[in-house]
Amino acid sequence: MINYHKPKKIGISILRRWTLIFLLGEILFFGLVGTNYISLNNLQDILVASTTVLLLATGETFVIITGGIDLSVGFMVGFSSVICAKVMVNLETAGFSQVAAISIGVLAALLLGLIPGFINGFLVAKLRVPSFIATFGMYGIAYGFAEIICNNIPVHNLPSSLGTLGHGYLFYWLPGKIFSFLNKPGNLTRDELKHLIVIIPNVVVITFIFIAIFAFILAKTKFGQHTYAIGGNINAAERAGVNVKTHLIKVYMISSFFASLAGVMYVLQYITGRAPAGSARLLDAITAVVIGGASLYGGKGTIIGTVIGALIISVLEIGLVNLSIPTYNLYIAVACILIFAVLIDQFSPELIQKEEEI
Amino acid sequence: MTELNNSFSINSEKFGKNNVINILGRNWALIFLIFMLILFSFLGKNFFTLNNFNNIVLGVSSLLLLASGEAFVIISGGIDLSIGFVMGFVCVTTAIIMRDLNAAGYSPFISILTGSLVGLLLGLIPGMVNGFLVAKLRVPPFIATLGMWGITNGLAWRLCEGFPIGFIPLQVRDIGNAYIAYFSPKKGFSFFVKPELTERKDILSLLKIIPIPILLITLILVIFAFILSRTKFGQHTYVIGGKVDAARRAGINVPLHLIKIYIISSFFAATAGVLLVFKLNMGVHTQYTSSYELFAIAAVVIGGASLTGGKGTVWGTVIGVLLIGILDNGLMMMGLPIFYRYIATGCILIIAVLIDQFFPELVYKE
Amino acid sequence: MKKFIITLLLICLGLSFIAMAGVAKQLKFAFMPGIADPFYFTMEKGAKAKAAELGVELIVGEYPKAWGPEYQVPILKALVARGDIDLLFTAPTSVEALIPVLKEISDSGIPVITVDTYIGDGDYTKPSNYNFPLAFIGTDNFLGGEVVAGQLALLLGGKGKVFLENTNPDVSSVMGRELGFRAGLKIFPDMELVGVEYCLDIQETAVAQVGAALQKNPDLAGVFGVNVFSAQGAYQAVVSAGLGGAVKIATWDATETLIEALKRKELNLILAQMPAEIGSLAVEWGFKHLTEGAEIPKKVIPGFFVFTQENVNDPEAQQYIYK
Repeated sequence: MINYHKPKKIGISILRRWTLIFLLGEILFFGLVGTNYISLNNLQDILVASTTVLLLATGETFVIITGGIDLSVGFMVGFSSVICAKVMVNLETAGFSQVAAISIGVLAALLLGLIPGFINGFLVAKLRVPSFIATFGMYGIAYGFAEIICNNIPVHNLPSSLGTLGHGYLFYWLPGKIFSFLNKPGNLTRDELKHLIVIIPNVVVITFIFIAIFAFILAKTKFGQHTYAIGGNINAAERAGVNVKTHLIKVYMISSFFASLAGVMYVLQYITGRAPAGSARLLDAITAVVIGGASLYGGKGTIIGTVIGALIISVLEIGLVNLSIPTYNLYIAVACILIFAVLIDQFSPELIQKEEEI
Repeated sequence: MTELNNSFSINSEKFGKNNVINILGRNWALIFLIFMLILFSFLGKNFFTLNNFNNIVLGVSSLLLLASGEAFVIISGGIDLSIGFVMGFVCVTTAIIMRDLNAAGYSPFISILTGSLVGLLLGLIPGMVNGFLVAKLRVPPFIATLGMWGITNGLAWRLCEGFPIGFIPLQVRDIGNAYIAYFSPKKGFSFFVKPELTERKDILSLLKIIPIPILLITLILVIFAFILSRTKFGQHTYVIGGKVDAARRAGINVPLHLIKIYIISSFFAATAGVLLVFKLNMGVHTQYTSSYELFAIAAVVIGGASLTGGKGTVWGTVIGVLLIGILDNGLMMMGLPIFYRYIATGCILIIAVLIDQFFPELVYKE
Repeated sequence: MKKFIITLLLICLGLSFIAMAGVAKQLKFAFMPGIADPFYFTMEKGAKAKAAELGVELIVGEYPKAWGPEYQVPILKALVARGDIDLLFTAPTSVEALIPVLKEISDSGIPVITVDTYIGDGDYTKPSNYNFPLAFIGTDNFLGGEVVAGQLALLLGGKGKVFLENTNPDVSSVMGRELGFRAGLKIFPDMELVGVEYCLDIQETAVAQVGAALQKNPDLAGVFGVNVFSAQGAYQAVVSAGLGGAVKIATWDATETLIEALKRKELNLILAQMPAEIGSLAVEWGFKHLTEGAEIPKKVIPGFFVFTQENVNDPEAQQYIYK
């Protein structure tokens, strides 16, 4: 039986999501108990800190819905950050303008980043290698290549204007004096710098634009429907005319595209390329997808759910840092709260059942 | 996971079980392993020596236990992410008990025995919690065991404050590094007791036969492989993993069975933790970067299991673990630098699994 | 149920106000470590002791799960976003990526001290975009590597094959030690570095790697284990092979387990950094700077202490053990 995910009125589906309520509850809690938690700076910092996991989890959502898993995304971030950085450095030394070097570097990373995804998809779809092994192998391969390319040393001497994009915000506001768009006001006194209000980091904008595009693709296009179909019942999907093999290859390419994008965002923020970048974020990404409502068996999950799941994790972690909880207690607290969050799901079956019935 | 992979079992029934190709296909992992051994013997320096093989097997001893426990969970259709940190938690707890009892004046024997037993028992608790969360509270196994992952990590860290636990009776290390038999050209055979040798070349030519920890591990694996393949408990595990509804209709108490499964996994992790103390003569908590659970799951899948459940064997898992261990050691003995090894290992693992895919094709074409 | 939740929230609110009011006058320092490692834990203890002595409140950020700016920066920013930090000392996990982040923090009025590692090239005296920190208090890893090479050479009589068990090629401090070690070995033409392996802080892996090295090179004379985990794994492998005492082992970071092994003569050398001292100095100089406006030296290197089989039981040596 084909299990299509029918688009719903956004308003109702958001309210039905206990995960969103949980997220808001978390923010409120830390706001009350923490020091200055609900401040513009802190909340924006949380968003910036979540970009890697948000991007990885979005790509991973597609893969998990089809019933697979992509373990390579963690090291793909490093791989693409190294390629991106190396290209930028070499082009700038060769005489290209900074803008050209940066743009070509970004494009190179994004395009080359599709290759591992293609290979993953090919292995899984055409050669029927279990996705766990295919992507586990790619994880080692990507890491190995990344380290060899950069020779174990973080890439440095990147074009200096990367910082303006990577650390920049959409709006800069000095109350009463300046309000500027995209350009950080120069020549500010120390006192003025202290009072500068910065709104919406660039990297967050870029991240959410891509997430929104692919959320739309997943929820409202045939491509998205086919993805759910494959995850629900693969034979039925084939009988219904879906070219399963090609579709799966595309899905894995989406996943590695997002990982490469995360690598590019890394370069923008940290002005360097490192092979192990983002490797520890893999588990967080998959957790985000699962909290967001997906099942590792496939067939379920949404991008919105994943986004909320990713934010639940980072809001929690930053909140506990804000409370300066010692690290070992922090791990225990995060673990307990995650289980608690999922338990709430079990004890409010009415809400969830109504979603599935539609 | 989708059912894209492995219609192999159907084909072998169609075309006769004793066809040579079928035998090769069923045991491809073992054959691949032997092939690797031969290859590395030629390419690697000093690869084909007893000492090196001892090192390989001792090196993967933790993984053997962790992966075998994980096999039970995966066959039942679940997943257990907490094994690495349960091992670390038990390692630290056992070491602390051994150290403190010894310091309080108890004999080394009592300290060691008590420490091991208490560690082992404490290590069953995460399994009980996991099982309860998954079976009774219907928490997805990923999240439940992720929770235990975090909790055991935090607890282990609190107990040891990040420092390794030392001052453990030295007998622990003697047991952990003991072998069943030794043969030295100078001093002949000796059982259990290592001969006293002072000359370096004598030490190097000492043949050490079957490490005691490996003997213990083999015993445990044989017992549990038997349980999995020949008892009702094992059958029920496969059925639950294959089709949960069929299991329920057949009258199997699924929640109770699942709890037992997670306790088994936890037991293996706890055993690995205690054994680690014997190997290292200290208590160390597991590093975040070690990814034991990832390698354990990979070994189980290479050994023939599917993440949807219902398939897999302990023997297959053992081969999967040995494959990983031999690959890493063999490539090291070849002098390949670490990152080239990652690439080579990744490719070879994929190739190993690909070979499995080709066998049904060969059979089918006939 | 509703009433209970509201009461709980009100109590939390009340408590947080009391908590904030109570410590309003105390200086608050924040320590952002590099990674979870006994070296940094000892640094925290030294810093905490000094802070308690001076009446300063010390807030410690979460120990990052892995080495790198992407793990450290979010925690760093979270600490600073609290808005009540007076001074920050941190071990930057990237010489470049942390520059803009720390500069922003410094510009917002919070003085920054870098401990153990540095930004840029560590020289904060000359004009550059990284000369804003108050000081760099740390170890010279390169020099330490050279010292170990020299000491190992002495133990081996200037000739023989040695192996380096390193931990993580992406961590600047241990790579500094490797570079120093290699440089130090060059002075001894009869010594040969037969291999380098990376165990990624996993002790079992270090055991396997050094074991394999002993297999490949039966005449291996010396091993250098570059941090706690690689060192412990290294000496374990040597002892398991029955070569304890025959192969000379040099290690770095003096945990009690390594000191124990040194006393049993299974190790030959432990280079101890002074993490407790570094932590303590950071707090002390920070305090002096904020309360008295004192001028701090831009570079403070407390140095090392080398434990050998001869001096391991000396009373003056005991303070350098990490505990």
